[in-house]
Amino acid sequence: MHSDIFTYIDPSQPSTVAAGPLAAKSLAIQPNMSVRGWPTEAGSIALDRFVAVEDATVVKRLRTAGAKTMVSTRMSELGFGLAGDTAAQALAEGHADIALITDTMGEVRVAASTTGVFGFKPSYGTVSRFGLIGLVPSMECFGILAGKLEDIATVMVAISGSDDRDPSMPGFGPECELPDFSQVCEAKESIAVAGLVKEAVDGLGPSESEAFSAALSRLEKAGVKIQELSLPDFDLFRSVHNVIGSVEASSAGGKYDGVRYGHRSASAKNWNEMYLRSRGESFGLLVKTYMLQGAYFQFENYSAFEDACRIRARLVRKTEELFDKADLLVFPTRRPGFDAAAAGTINEVYDAFSLTLLANVTGMPALALPGLVFDGDVDPGLQLVGPRLSDARLLSVALCLAG
Amino acid sequence: MTCQGRSYCGHPRVSDVGREVRMTGWVDALRDHGEVLFIHLRDRSGIVQVVFSAEHTPPQVCERAAALRNEFCVAVTGRVVERAKDTENPHIETGHIEVMATDLTVIAKSKTLPFPISEKAMLAGAVVKGVGSVAEDLRLQYRYLDLRRPTMQDQLIKRHRIIKCLRDSLDEQSFIDVETPVLTKSTPEGARDYLVPSRVHPKHFYALPQSPQLFKQLLMVSGFERYFQIVKCFRDEDLRPNRQPEFTQLDIEASFVDEEFIYELSEDLMVRIFEIGGIALSRPFPRMTYHEAIDTMGSDRPDIRFGMRFIDATGIFGNTSYGIFKQILKRGGCIKGINVKGQSENLSKNVLQNEYAKQIVPGFGAKGMTWMRMINGQLESNIVQFFSNDEQRAIIERFRAENGDVILMIADPSYDVVASALGQLRLHIADRLGLIPQDAYRPVWITDFPLFNVTDEGITSNHHPFTAPDRTDFDPADRRSLLALRSRAYDLVINGEELGGGSIRINDSDVQQKIFQALGLSDKEVKEKFGFLLSALDYGAPPHGGIALGLDRVVAMILGTSSIREVIAFPKNRSAHCPLTEAPSVIAHEQLAELGLFDPAGERRIAGTQEDLDLIDSLSWVSRIGIDDKERPEIAAALKEAARLAELVKERAGEDEPLFSVVNATNLIRKGAAARISPLAENGELFRNAPSVKGRYFKVASILE
Repeated sequence: MHSDIFTYIDPSQPSTVAAGPLAAKSLAIQPNMSVRGWPTEAGSIALDRFVAVEDATVVKRLRTAGAKTMVSTRMSELGFGLAGDTAAQALAEGHADIALITDTMGEVRVAASTTGVFGFKPSYGTVSRFGLIGLVPSMECFGILAGKLEDIATVMVAISGSDDRDPSMPGFGPECELPDFSQVCEAKESIAVAGLVKEAVDGLGPSESEAFSAALSRLEKAGVKIQELSLPDFDLFRSVHNVIGSVEASSAGGKYDGVRYGHRSASAKNWNEMYLRSRGESFGLLVKTYMLQGAYFQFENYSAFEDACRIRARLVRKTEELFDKADLLVFPTRRPGFDAAAAGTINEVYDAFSLTLLANVTGMPALALPGLVFDGDVDPGLQLVGPRLSDARLLSVALCLAG
Repeated sequence: MTCQGRSYCGHPRVSDVGREVRMTGWVDALRDHGEVLFIHLRDRSGIVQVVFSAEHTPPQVCERAAALRNEFCVAVTGRVVERAKDTENPHIETGHIEVMATDLTVIAKSKTLPFPISEKAMLAGAVVKGVGSVAEDLRLQYRYLDLRRPTMQDQLIKRHRIIKCLRDSLDEQSFIDVETPVLTKSTPEGARDYLVPSRVHPKHFYALPQSPQLFKQLLMVSGFERYFQIVKCFRDEDLRPNRQPEFTQLDIEASFVDEEFIYELSEDLMVRIFEIGGIALSRPFPRMTYHEAIDTMGSDRPDIRFGMRFIDATGIFGNTSYGIFKQILKRGGCIKGINVKGQSENLSKNVLQNEYAKQIVPGFGAKGMTWMRMINGQLESNIVQFFSNDEQRAIIERFRAENGDVILMIADPSYDVVASALGQLRLHIADRLGLIPQDAYRPVWITDFPLFNVTDEGITSNHHPFTAPDRTDFDPADRRSLLALRSRAYDLVINGEELGGGSIRINDSDVQQKIFQALGLSDKEVKEKFGFLLSALDYGAPPHGGIALGLDRVVAMILGTSSIREVIAFPKNRSAHCPLTEAPSVIAHEQLAELGLFDPAGERRIAGTQEDLDLIDSLSWVSRIGIDDKERPEIAAALKEAARLAELVKERAGEDEPLFSVVNATNLIRKGAAARISPLAENGELFRNAPSVKGRYFKVASILE
């Protein structure tokens, strides 16, 4: 195993062979998922030498399901983008069967399509975020990378469900049903109509377009009707995610002050200088720039944040309306010309995730399927998006299509 | 309501018994015994007890009295009677008498008070809580009530006495009070100016004076010979606990005088005003050169109420084998120490090593501290084994160490670090061990300052550029000779606090020019900033000099108040904000537009302009995220993009209600009733990740310098 893939490898070997649905699987997580006693720096100097003092709810549940959480892979700073992220590599090189990474703007799906595995982002609110160290609370959640859809379903059975310690989760009940992941593999779901959002594919280059059309015709051969739909505001997902995401990052990042944990600048003379310098040294330029954009919206132009939230409401509403005409929506996952791992500026990051933001802004479940689309040797990927809390059905459909 | 025939509350004594009095004032306190109602009636002169009883007071007056509450403004008529034995009140001057009320007029009612004003108990032996626990901002918000308190009144009255004494004394010696302008031009005093925009000259600004320095010099050129002014000065400096954006200064300047004249004059004034607080200062005030102050006490405002002067130990360790000292001396460093006489019992090894050497002294800027205790004629410490017998003997001799003494040494390659850290350590130790006599007042003149300081940008004046140097034959281009110059400046320091300072000024325009050259000011800059002064010095300027005393500080010291805000009627709080008037405040766009400071047509920003830089700095500040210059271009581009996004979302916002989360937010109430400490805090795990901890607290940098 290589230390350029992992930040931590658990030296303790389970003394007895664990039982449970995940007992046979090896799992990779990221250092923004709290495991008591593990270094948990979330890819940021802001959490320099931070060792988690509690287990994330997800970690507890994975252990209950018998998982041997063995390794922690490298990640981008606070999970923003994919620069330096090694989860997909760990899977590709066979170090893990399943990897959990944070999906803030589409990371799990873009990583999946670069590696040829499945990448699943569940509905917002189905998986506890307690113990997740993140950046954009209203849009990020744990996502799952795996070579097998069955593994994704098994993990979801283990980790989904309400948690008192995560106040952002809904109370599940008859009005708001938690998806039942236990039947994913048995249910034979198929879809009649897949919606294709015209505005999402309008921007594709000619070869990307061609490759994506080929994938669609493969779906049609499998009996799916492709229905062209229109979402005129599709371009706004990016703007809305940028405005809201940066404001939340600026706000949620306020806790990294080097007082209770993390990096403290050595040279501060007084209280204010301590904050300025410690935080100035804590964040990389990308995250720092993002937080300052957020500060701009908070302190200089607050109405822009409210406007973005108004548009978010409209985007959720308009996207939901599309499901009147289609069972699911299909999108390409990424644009091969924009390398998420190499993105160095905010705009480059958003360029790389322009096709995945919809699911984060609307909180809808999305699954990246590998192996259906090829642009030269590159896979722009195919992404299925379903209505919120239709996660189990989405996985069942994918199982039928992939099988 | 007339004041005719009014008596003052604080005046009646036993000799007034039987007199009919009419008094006005405020209800300071009430004590209702049903049949009898006692009130403390307060005016500026003091407090008197007024009694309303069915026996002496008409029923309708008693009825009105029953409705009295604290701080009602009232007029009372009554007769002075001697108090019954054992009912005297020692807390008030009029405690042996009381007034039997015969009439009462409620002049004005009062709402319930935001904090108690009464300071005098109504019964012997009783204690009044006072405002000690009231938040200072609340006191400042209701300053007009706070100032009703006898303590505050007394302080402001004493302040008046002090200022009156200064005026009278100076008047006696033919000093003339001349007012200088408040709307003036920026002067180079080192601090930031408060600026006042000019409406008739758009985008031009007056500055509020940091001191009337140049004007008082011009008055000397004009031949007034002796000038003084009690003057408000303004400095836009960083916040400090005992600093106000505006402060009062006693400003003095005189012609045909030298340092001795100023010392004589100032000492006389100080002795007189300290007397008002019952403090006797002995004259003449000792003098100490800047060099001696730094070399023996590590500060140019030394506290000489106690000894513990530095002893140089560099020479002892010339051939030492102790690695740390050896390295430091090899780099040209020095070693100094203090002898804390007879305190060995109070400074345990744990305190010396774990508190001082590891935490406190590093906070003073030194890398560490060496400590030794003298026990049974031997030095004891964790490192004494590294010193040779000769070295140990030399230490004992040089520090005159006796049993029970503690020797503390600081070594560093930099002399300045040693002096500064040991100076702070000296104060810290003395304070901790109670070695500073609290009722002593020890003034000292600090003299012979270096004329110039070295900074990153070059050299700057230690005081200001108008201070006369000790010699005038210097070459403004020769840095070394410039740094060797001493100034004819002097500071007056009492108990470690700088209360004022001044200098003999330059009265020769050639010398003044040379100083400006030495400071690296171009001819153009000089002409722009000080042209009028140079020009004035060309018309037969007399030799002159002066001093300025910070009156707020002086008064606070004389009255022994905890802060200068206690001797200022309407001060700003620690954040330079006035909770009473809420100054500073936002002003209307129209007002800004009128001053040419705001363009309602909304000129768009051009990228890379000053506004953008200011925007970055302001966002960096509100976010408390430091940025360095090479990060600026990318941040500027991202903020430009943010402004574009803001326009875009505004244009396409639509009518929906803002959506902050896709999940309906529910408020979760934590289960369980009693508050409890997190087990992680209890077992200390929370502290494991902390960069700095002291005991069971997270340690942070000090909030105020």
